[in-house]
Amino acid sequence: MADKSNDPVALWQKMIGEMEKGFNAFAARAMESPQFSQALNQVGGATAAGQKQLGELMEKYLLTMNMPSRAQMIGMAERLQAIEGQLNEIKAILHQMQGNAAGSGGVYAPAPRPPRTKRPPPPAGGEQKSGGEQK
Amino acid sequence: MKAAAEADRAGFDLASISERIESEVQRAIARSIKGVEYFSTSGPSLGSTPKDILSVRGTMNLYHYRPIADEIYRVPILIVMATTNRGYILDMVPGQSFIEFLLKRGYDVYMLDWTAPKPEEKNLRMEDYVLDFIPDCVRRVQADSGENDVTVIGYCFGGVLSLLYGSISAGGPMKNLICFTTPVDFREMKLFQNFADRRYFDVDHLVDSIGNIPPEMILSSFEMLRPASRAASQVQLWENIWNDEFVKSYRMFDRWATDTLPLAGEYFRTITKDLMWDNKLYNDAMSVGGRKADISSIKVPFLHAVAEHDHIVPYGAARPLIEKIGSADKEEVILKGGHVSLVAGANAVRRLWPKLDSWLCERST
Repeated sequence: MADKSNDPVALWQKMIGEMEKGFNAFAARAMESPQFSQALNQVGGATAAGQKQLGELMEKYLLTMNMPSRAQMIGMAERLQAIEGQLNEIKAILHQMQGNAAGSGGVYAPAPRPPRTKRPPPPAGGEQKSGGEQK
Repeated sequence: MKAAAEADRAGFDLASISERIESEVQRAIARSIKGVEYFSTSGPSLGSTPKDILSVRGTMNLYHYRPIADEIYRVPILIVMATTNRGYILDMVPGQSFIEFLLKRGYDVYMLDWTAPKPEEKNLRMEDYVLDFIPDCVRRVQADSGENDVTVIGYCFGGVLSLLYGSISAGGPMKNLICFTTPVDFREMKLFQNFADRRYFDVDHLVDSIGNIPPEMILSSFEMLRPASRAASQVQLWENIWNDEFVKSYRMFDRWATDTLPLAGEYFRTITKDLMWDNKLYNDAMSVGGRKADISSIKVPFLHAVAEHDHIVPYGAARPLIEKIGSADKEEVILKGGHVSLVAGANAVRRLWPKLDSWLCERST
């Protein structure tokens, strides 16, 4: 295998990594300035307010066009998820009922939980040692 | 021969270079094929450990994960997720799921997870989270498990909420408290401090005009902490797209990272004013709903796990917690990794999870 220092792929990956670190450090320094905060909040405030107005406008437009808005689509997706969740619950209950019917004459009872009697394993040869530095 | 000898002197091995070129060509072909696959398929299914929903109330969801061990520890665990992110970071895929790990080790696990607050929930306040949602979940865990004691684990801002709950309900059912990467000194979150500089950031205007804080805004503020990292990770993805394991892992984490939740407006206002501006938690001046929240009143066994390279909650912001907490039995553990890799992925499987198990098992009987 060629030396890593001569491997063009390794060099490229190292360069990307260094560029990322360098740019992040540079940007972090720039973002620590009060001027950045001022500019960010001017732009951010205006954008947020603008986005909200645009959203409301779009909502009205979609209503006029008799089409669902994004909020309604999200609401529908959430309803679907809730229905899926309930179906899963029903499936789980049916499963339990089926098991119980087979085992105890058809009377429904919740699945038994394991006993809360577990004890910690005895310390054995540093098996449970931390992987990290402790303070 | 002469060229080969010269190349050898210069540190090149012609045979290995040709092997390398061949391998790179094969990878380039694989990249093209896998690249098409990447865009035409969805990522792995996340958060699939079997669970039951115990309660859904607005933004609050309480799950109980079905035990898989034959015998479980007496004390159940309630995990409190950060309000900005989804809980499936702790339940990625089998083999990389913290939840699955806990279940296999014999813990009874519940999770307080959040969904996006609806526009009409913009008035949810810190009080709703600390004095209503968490105590409600604790009561439900007690009722469901039949146990009075509960271990609480809080991740990131879920840790802050757990600290507030624990300090207000000192002497309550919380038997152990574990925090992952939990900030207390908000001055040390320097970039967030600058983004929220009170001279320029008008939080009242923002909340009053838009209600809930949109997820895009929260995601942008996280990404701005490391602005080059997203582009660099996409380059990395392209380089490694031939590697199925890398792609699977990339998709899991990328999906989670971009699946940010909006924050309820009033709650965000309190975070900004009380924590970011006035640093009240650190200054022992925090109160929630008129009730003083003093971290030193927490006396239960306490573990704080922090990451060496956490860019979201820098160590300086998390460090004072271990000193401030009132517990006699307390420990801080600093592990390699970042804000997310501390709790999920290969790093967490090797480091945090076994450490947490060894600490918690003795305190769960």
